[in-house]
Amino acid sequence: MSRQLLGSLIAAVLIVIIAIAVVTASFGPTSAAEQEVREERLEERLDAEEERREAAEERREERRER
Amino acid sequence: MEDAVETLTRGNVAEVKVVLASVALALAVYQLVMIAVGYGKLRVPFLATPPAFQAHRAVGDMIALLLLCTGVMCVSYYGFEDDKLVHAVAGSALLGVLALKISVVRRDFGLGRFLPVLGITVFTLLAVTWATSAGAFLA
Repeated sequence: MSRQLLGSLIAAVLIVIIAIAVVTASFGPTSAAEQEVREERLEERLDAEEERREAAEERREERRER
Repeated sequence: MEDAVETLTRGNVAEVKVVLASVALALAVYQLVMIAVGYGKLRVPFLATPPAFQAHRAVGDMIALLLLCTGVMCVSYYGFEDDKLVHAVAGSALLGVLALKISVVRRDFGLGRFLPVLGITVFTLLAVTWATSAGAFLA
């Protein structure tokens, strides 16, 4: 009897896991957390580009001064 | 409370609510099977009546906790919106009927014979509440 109860509860846990997997998979990459990560990455990329541009400009100015 | 919900869900309030409600609905379908075995309406060779009833009770406690969390999250974050009237009414009725069912299970009050009706009402209200929010969100 306890084995049957344990089996029933394990089946319930499996249902929970499957339900979570199916529902989260249907969200796709639109979750707020994922969007935040994307925005952060984009911001980092833009910052890095700007830094590179500034460094290149500084180098150009140094060359001109020489 | 609103800030606490937002912090706990890391800004994904709707998504977390949909997952919790969907898990509750999936378990509710399982509950129907368990209670059908419990009442002998469905006979399976690997599951007897007493463990089916015990599993129904244990899973039911889990569902009640899930629904309470979802309800508190929903009301504290979204409140009662006019355009979600069916959802608000079905959700409130669900928690009310669920509380009544748990009281009858624990204390009986001479209403034990109404448990199947209460159970089916809880399932129907859960299905309506899910369909008017999580179902629409996933569609």
